Amino acid sequence: MDSLITAAALALAAGDPLGALDRVALREDAPALALRGIAMAQLGDFDRAKLLLRRAARAFSPKEAVARARCVVAEAEIALVSRDLGWPAKALDAARTTLEKHGDRLNAAHAGHLKVRRLLLIGRLDEAEYVLAGLDPTPLPPAARAAHELAVAGIAMRRLRTRPARAALEWARNAARQAGIAGLMAEVATASLALETPAARLITQGAERPLLLEEVEALQGSPALVVDAFRYAVRAGDRTVSLASRPVLFALARALAEAWPGDVSREELVARAFGGKHADESHRARLRVEIGRLRAELAALADISATKRGFTLAPRQARAVMVLARPIEERHAAVLALLADGEAWSSSALALALGTGQRSVQRALEPLAEAGKVQSFGHGRARRWMTPPVAGFTTTLLLPAPLATG
Amino acid sequence: MKHSPAEILREYGPFPGIERIHGVSFDGENVWFASGDRLNAFDPQSGQKLRSIDVAAHAGTAYDGRYFYQLADDRIQKIDPDTGAVVSTIPAPGGGRDSGLTWAEGTLWVGQYRERKIHQIDPETGKILRSIESSRFVTGVTWVDGELWHGTWEGDESDLRRVDPKTGKLLERLDMPAGMTVSGLESDGADRLYCGSTSTGVVRAVRRPK
Repeated sequence: MDSLITAAALALAAGDPLGALDRVALREDAPALALRGIAMAQLGDFDRAKLLLRRAARAFSPKEAVARARCVVAEAEIALVSRDLGWPAKALDAARTTLEKHGDRLNAAHAGHLKVRRLLLIGRLDEAEYVLAGLDPTPLPPAARAAHELAVAGIAMRRLRTRPARAALEWARNAARQAGIAGLMAEVATASLALETPAARLITQGAERPLLLEEVEALQGSPALVVDAFRYAVRAGDRTVSLASRPVLFALARALAEAWPGDVSREELVARAFGGKHADESHRARLRVEIGRLRAELAALADISATKRGFTLAPRQARAVMVLARPIEERHAAVLALLADGEAWSSSALALALGTGQRSVQRALEPLAEAGKVQSFGHGRARRWMTPPVAGFTTTLLLPAPLATG
Repeated sequence: MKHSPAEILREYGPFPGIERIHGVSFDGENVWFASGDRLNAFDPQSGQKLRSIDVAAHAGTAYDGRYFYQLADDRIQKIDPDTGAVVSTIPAPGGGRDSGLTWAEGTLWVGQYRERKIHQIDPETGKILRSIESSRFVTGVTWVDGELWHGTWEGDESDLRRVDPKTGKLLERLDMPAGMTVSGLESDGADRLYCGSTSTGVVRAVRRPK
């Protein structure tokens, strides 16, 4: 590369994006555009950064495949950090293949990690795990190693495996310290906090208490009958009955479990399951039908018997009945759970991550915003949502390097 | 035009703390290379790294028998090797788009990277005396025995080529193996050409064809 490009790249590597811009601000050649894009990304101007990188990718000749691929990877990272999850994943895959073919293993791995982080954010755990398994972290420099271990920890936590999560976070902490990147160390600290903060509530025999992730994990092997409000399932030991697609049955099961060993009145069951205030005859008939269905579903785990005023749950083997619930339950808990990562999300990204329509996400966001539980900035398509107080874009940019070798 | 694969005789480095090579020179005994914020010397016999000078060193390096010339930002610095002091600077002909520098018979030759040019300039004023064109990106320039050689990199491929200093016409080409980039080029005045790498931080010795 040429003299000013080298000088600008060195300034960028030293964390001085303004020094880099000083050197290439007026240049329109491909490597200069790419460096300007990276500098703008580091300064937080993602829109300009994306435009510059796209222009750089076009300005490199078709033969400069590696340089083009690095621009694509940088653009993908910026899209990820700004939660533009609809960004074309295929372009990232193609860039990754090109980098691998040309022996740029470091940036190929970087592209792989971006893919994993995107899959994690949109809740495709199996795919994320599969891609991650194909990435060998040992030759990676500290910053990339930290990103890798954060992804490992993220998957382990969602899979309720706290020991591997702790081990990965320890690796991530060391690597982040070695890399000396403050944002990365903060990210590891935030991720570690998730292990020390209540992840769920346990409701049993009329009392409830917060549970750490580790305790939730311990509950997995419990012989108790657990009504799991995370997975919409009922289980005991290694038998699980999923009610994910039967919300009415789940609501009934949960109401019965919360009251155990006591019973629940018909009126309350009707209210919890159908949302009706007053139980009339048609409601009672429908309740009988639904209880019959639930009885059939849970046959192996528990019996449901009628009492004078309603119904009660009688586990077959289990000695206790518990309800595992989200730490905060309100109508739009799922939206809040996503926003709890401290990032700014577009409503389309939320819709993608929740597997629902953009309009219904917007219907959830409006009352949440009125209640001061979320706030937005930007307008139109650039509008982003986050939970107050604004934590800023904590996800650290580890943009591809070196961007413009030659 | 003669055309053959480059015969790599030896690799030096990678040296600790040095990721990329930006320019290469030879002072008659030791090989010098620019690594961003330093000029470094090693002994081509032992491969041992010897000393370094803390000075901005972003691209090509040259030696006139007494002083080093070093591209940094958009200038060419003249450096006293004994003290490490920058004794004077002139503007680089490409305004910072320069890559590759060599000294020959009282003038400096500078590569202008993506413009695919080589300029001959006055070392006192920086005035362009003559320009020739190459067909590929220029990443290093050197003179040996009246032959002008330059390194190229383009489309993820590199080679070393001898050109006619008057017309720029390609006379001979040595292809580098796939994946080996060239940045910085210098001859030892005999049968070796030294070239730097931007991907692994090594200096390679290539046999100069007779």
